[in-house]
Amino acid sequence: MINSVRNTVLSVLNKNNYGYISPSDFNLYAKQAQLEIFEDRYRDYNKIINAENARLSGTDYADAKRTAEEAMEQFAVTDALYPLRTYSPTAPPPGVSRYSLPTQAYNGNDYYMITNINLSTEIFPQSGFTTLGGVAVLNDLGANFFILPSIAAIAVNTTTNAWAYVTGIVSATQLSLSNNIFTAGGQGYEIRQLSDYRVADKTTMTKVTMHNNSMFLPMSARYPMYVQTGDYIDIYPQVDYGALGSVMCTYFRYPKDPKWTYISLPGGEPSFNQSALDYQDFELPIEDEYRLVAKILQYCGVSIREAEVYQFAKNEEVQDKVA
Amino acid sequence: MSYITPQAYYTNQSEWGSYQYVSLYDIVDNFLLMNTGNHSLINNEDRYKALFHAKRAIQELHYDAFREVKSLELTVCGNTLRYILPHDFVNWVKISMYKDGWLRPLTENIQTLSATAYSQNSNCIIQFTGSEPTIITSEIDADRIAKTKKSIYLNGDSPLNGQLGYFVDGNWYFDYATWSRFGLNTETANFNPTFNIDRKKGVINFDSSMAGEKCILEYISDGMENGDDSAVAVNKLFEKYIYAYMEYEILNSKLGVQEYIVNRKRKEKTALLRNAKIRISNIHPSRLLMNMRGMDKGMK
Repeated sequence: MINSVRNTVLSVLNKNNYGYISPSDFNLYAKQAQLEIFEDRYRDYNKIINAENARLSGTDYADAKRTAEEAMEQFAVTDALYPLRTYSPTAPPPGVSRYSLPTQAYNGNDYYMITNINLSTEIFPQSGFTTLGGVAVLNDLGANFFILPSIAAIAVNTTTNAWAYVTGIVSATQLSLSNNIFTAGGQGYEIRQLSDYRVADKTTMTKVTMHNNSMFLPMSARYPMYVQTGDYIDIYPQVDYGALGSVMCTYFRYPKDPKWTYISLPGGEPSFNQSALDYQDFELPIEDEYRLVAKILQYCGVSIREAEVYQFAKNEEVQDKVA
Repeated sequence: MSYITPQAYYTNQSEWGSYQYVSLYDIVDNFLLMNTGNHSLINNEDRYKALFHAKRAIQELHYDAFREVKSLELTVCGNTLRYILPHDFVNWVKISMYKDGWLRPLTENIQTLSATAYSQNSNCIIQFTGSEPTIITSEIDADRIAKTKKSIYLNGDSPLNGQLGYFVDGNWYFDYATWSRFGLNTETANFNPTFNIDRKKGVINFDSSMAGEKCILEYISDGMENGDDSAVAVNKLFEKYIYAYMEYEILNSKLGVQEYIVNRKRKEKTALLRNAKIRISNIHPSRLLMNMRGMDKGMK
């Protein structure tokens, strides 16, 4: 989609010889445009809900909420949170279980919004050591996987801190996994049942103190809570640090920065190169293409000081919102 | 919570009868799933509020709707004549003495059986230890334990017990030196030991005729199972009422909810409680029939 967007933008700009934008400028504007549209999705979702409650939205093909949710949910990610006992200088005080929020460094993504944090109540998960490696399997000749786990479970490599879903029980000593995380023998593993996870509620530090003192509403393994501080969370009650996998998080990640990659032709003209390693297309759905064009044109209009370009693009955007 | 197989049920004693109940966890989860959200009357409420109101509903039901009476048998020692209330005691239903194979219901004494006493000097000035009065064993307690305290009840501590009488011409005659009785005071006409409950001190005090006897306390609790949420459950007949109660309580304290909605929810929960109470009262035709069979008996 990124090449199509760029071609359209250049076509509009060139129509009246307004000018030309370089690939690096385009990539900068593309990133901003994508972020704006991405965040608009979440803001507009609330308006859609209000419209539904006011009976202004229909069902089936008129179900605006479903379309919006589908566009948002393509950025939903479920991942394990990293305990900060050994991974960070932000070591927690005694009695607190501290986990890093999703970051590029730990999870490969920055989060836009946390939707769900789940805590495993299994203090002593099934564990052991692999006897040999394999492709997307867990081999332990000393185990009996017919007893546990069920297929709905998470397997964690405690040696490399990678995790995967258990997708099948191949034999008493072998599980199939969703990812290739056990590549050698002698690696430690833990298996946690998905049914043992409980939703943690977000709360504030003031309320944590009240809950701690409450006989009626204490924080428990069944009703855990967490407080967000900076880029980490503290989970109450204190849970087993174990390895990765005791706290799972579902979140909306930011879209990846788009990058229109190219090779320079002999005349110096850039030619689109989709095979470049750092190529990154827009992650928004195709329906957002014309919005991307309008947004990027606005940036271009400001950049080349052509009010007419900016006004044209702005009008397009306004008409879209009215519609 | 999931359904279990008959085999798992019959071979696991802790499961017996469990199908009558819905757990606190299920109540909270079901409520959050069904009664909250973007298109519901309730949204943006914390889970702990649902948990709080669910627990409160269960407590209220235990106080006056459930028929879940707990019983505890303890021996009342003669040197204290007291029975420590159970750790989960909220209110008593019946207190009985179990003796010689008979369960004898006891009567609550209309007079006090125990008192706190402060040490006083010969001029009746209260003595202090630090800033607090010096507490000593009260005379009424000492007499009660020494079996010298008299009782207005017609039991072993009654001043009438052991009085000599005269059998003349086929009739009994009694000589009471200080006072006479005319007719029977039914309020105190009970042969069994009596008791008083000191709620603040957490004990039941008995008169001395209870010394060394077995006491069975039937009482109600609040259903909180000593803080173990996993054991808290409620009869399914009350499930719908609990959801209605939770919904009403949350809406009642929520800003901006129209009064007619609050009223609608209040009426709904009240009606559901009434229905559930009727259901659990188990008025079976067969039981009524047993009672009705005696209606044609002739009066003797």
